[in-house]
Amino acid sequence: MTGSSGTVPPDRGPDPSVANPEGSAAGLPAYVLRVPTGTYRSLNPFTKSVVALSSALVAFGVRGWTGPLSVLLLTAAIALVAGVSRSLRRFVLATIPIVVSILLINAFLYPGATDVLFRVGPFAATGTGVTVALQATLRVVAFALSVAVFSLTTATDDFLADLERRGTGRRLTFVVGSAIGMIPAMASRATEIVEAQRARGLDTEGSVRRRIRGIVPLAGPMVFGALSEVEERTVALEARGFSAPARRTVMRILPDSGAQRALRWLLGVGTIVVVGASIAGRFPLP
Amino acid sequence: MAWLSRQFSTRVIVLIPIAIAINIVLGYTVQTILKLPIYLDSIGTILVGVLAGPIAGALTGILSNLIWQYAPVIGGGTIGPFAITAGVIGLLAGIWGQLAVYRSRPASGMQLIVAAIAAGVIAVVVVIPILNNPAYTDPNVGGYPSWVYTAAAVIAVIVAVVVAAFIYVRRDLAGLWVAVAGVLTGIVAAFVSAPISAIAFGGVTGGGTDLLVAALRQGGSDVIHASLGQGLFSDPIDKTITSFVVFIILSGLSPRLLARFPLGDRLVRDRAA
Amino acid sequence: MTLRLSAATYRYAGARRDALDSVDLEISTGSVLGVVGPNEAGKSTLCLVASGLAPVVVSGRLSGSVTIDGRETTDMRPHELAQRCGILFQDAQAQLSGTASTVFEEVAFGPRNLGLSLPAVIERVEACLGALGIASLADRDPARLSGGQAQLVALAAILALRPDFLILDEPTSQLDPQGTRLVGDALRRLVRESRTAILVVEHKTALLDRLADRVVVVDEGRIVREGPTADVLGDAALPGHGVEPPPRVRVQSALAAAGLGTAAETDRLMAELAT
Repeated sequence: MTGSSGTVPPDRGPDPSVANPEGSAAGLPAYVLRVPTGTYRSLNPFTKSVVALSSALVAFGVRGWTGPLSVLLLTAAIALVAGVSRSLRRFVLATIPIVVSILLINAFLYPGATDVLFRVGPFAATGTGVTVALQATLRVVAFALSVAVFSLTTATDDFLADLERRGTGRRLTFVVGSAIGMIPAMASRATEIVEAQRARGLDTEGSVRRRIRGIVPLAGPMVFGALSEVEERTVALEARGFSAPARRTVMRILPDSGAQRALRWLLGVGTIVVVGASIAGRFPLP
Repeated sequence: MAWLSRQFSTRVIVLIPIAIAINIVLGYTVQTILKLPIYLDSIGTILVGVLAGPIAGALTGILSNLIWQYAPVIGGGTIGPFAITAGVIGLLAGIWGQLAVYRSRPASGMQLIVAAIAAGVIAVVVVIPILNNPAYTDPNVGGYPSWVYTAAAVIAVIVAVVVAAFIYVRRDLAGLWVAVAGVLTGIVAAFVSAPISAIAFGGVTGGGTDLLVAALRQGGSDVIHASLGQGLFSDPIDKTITSFVVFIILSGLSPRLLARFPLGDRLVRDRAA
Repeated sequence: MTLRLSAATYRYAGARRDALDSVDLEISTGSVLGVVGPNEAGKSTLCLVASGLAPVVVSGRLSGSVTIDGRETTDMRPHELAQRCGILFQDAQAQLSGTASTVFEEVAFGPRNLGLSLPAVIERVEACLGALGIASLADRDPARLSGGQAQLVALAAILALRPDFLILDEPTSQLDPQGTRLVGDALRRLVRESRTAILVVEHKTALLDRLADRVVVVDEGRIVREGPTADVLGDAALPGHGVEPPPRVRVQSALAAAGLGTAAETDRLMAELAT
């Protein structure tokens, strides 16, 4: 997700395809409506989450080649169409450490495998092991890409606004939105504390024991500082009527369509069928 | 879903996102800046569990993992599927909170010595069956290679000594319960994580502990046992350290602040202002 | 409409002393009351008690009575209190929800919580932004505003609930001079154009000098002085209570001490300097 939608989009006025039972969306300024644009990006956030969730479930739940490969191809296609393929690099690079582990450990040390393909020193790579290694790698990369595509095409506030419209309470929406919003400030606080402790002699390069001793001076002030805000923020929220019993007014409505609804159902049912078949051992494809 | 969240007071609703942010930022800082092989990304989860109960704790854990996986800028990595483990950790923390595990229990003299001895006895009780386990003594019986059992015994002894020292130096019996809570949480976490790791990530972690996974597999363990073995090594240590950090932090908070939370009064007893 | 404290005594949960001791206070629609006093005098507690947030949200024990238009604050739920009495604190960013992408949405947070219709929400947001002169900030990111701007957004967010009473707890203390001027001007405009009753706690007595009709001095949880602004702020005993008199008074005293003119003459001089 890309945080709030950055620069103010051009004023497109109210979207005629939006069914707005709550009242005239025409009164809301464009910078509030923030209707997302672009292929795939303009899809409803719920649709995009269903795609992400199905991708993850199929990538991990359908054993063999077909599951992860199809997810990989699908997400690559979406990335291309949505124009985010270049940004995928960082997500793919982040998987390298675990992929290396997966490949080495499973290829050479797969328990019970005897079909040796080749040897490297004292270690033997087995066919079974290599297959498992490659499939696991595909799964990890497919998952990473599905996460990337979701993160890069869906703004957090769009996602939360849509969830709220569908009935998630104000509390859950607030928890997720507030947590994400708080991370940058807390990260700078953490950096400040580490710097201050370094000036007081905390060793971030020294022995493991010294670094472990550094945990409490870091965690302590961070947690204390954060907890001291709880009271203030609670009072501030109550002063804004946060615990009022009424159903919260829906303000932003992201566009949806019958086609997308059908797609979501298809993906949902399809995922259950396919994963179920795989678990039951009845998945026909390799 | 709306019903569920109405169970929580506004104060808890404010606490949870703060705890989630602490999890993510501390977890990242400890791994990247202090470069330690422990996670420490459950401090917020355990704090919420202890202060606000099992459901709040579980929610904090699950959301922390999902947000860390999918949120902008920080997203990525492989932490998402372990949301289940994080949820369980939060649940357990809620149970520890209800049992007042993290409450200070000042003691002196005889009581301390008794507690220190108890820690030693527990360690011995854990070690003897390990050393007597046929899997250890008889090379023909399966399971883990023998060095694993030796290592487990050594670690158990070290932990017992450290805990006994903690109890003695701080004159506080709570050290014993805090350690037990940490070890139990770690063990459960390892058992929950092993199948997740096996199914999703080919039984590896992507970190330094994969050397342990490799060694276990070399010794004959299958995928899930190697993953479990790695987990049983790193998780109890990590969660026990986290448990002590949480205890030290909680003991520094004022009773006034603690009493405002649902389970806060269990931490206070006669520490009142 | 009146907000009245009668013999209000308040002690925070787990505290050893009363933070407020038998306070009698009253504000009515259209008036502005200033509150001064040394640190830890109980001014912030006074704000929380007057708004009803203590003891309804902040735990503690209240004796005596606090009524808003005849109704006890302890009989009301937090959201009912919020619609009758708004409160603004020092730290602007801590009061913002942290979940809004634009100032518009931040100000809409409160009205949306009440479940008002969307047109009503929009109308209130636009009215409040206009009343404080910050309509130009509507599309900005609340997290990226200056201190003064953030404080005005927080104020607009409170006003959006249309409270009859407004309590300001040191609204400018964390602001630089520019921010202070921004908020001060907005408050003066608000007072001129609406009938909201305002209680404002401030160390910057110059601000109160231009804003408040009456001023009370709070010390050790009690009200020790009360009266029209000019009287109280001109009182020579003021510094004894840890309060610095406004520049006008200080200049006047200095001129008088140097024998340089009558009160009327220095008044005229100060008026000229102020413009």
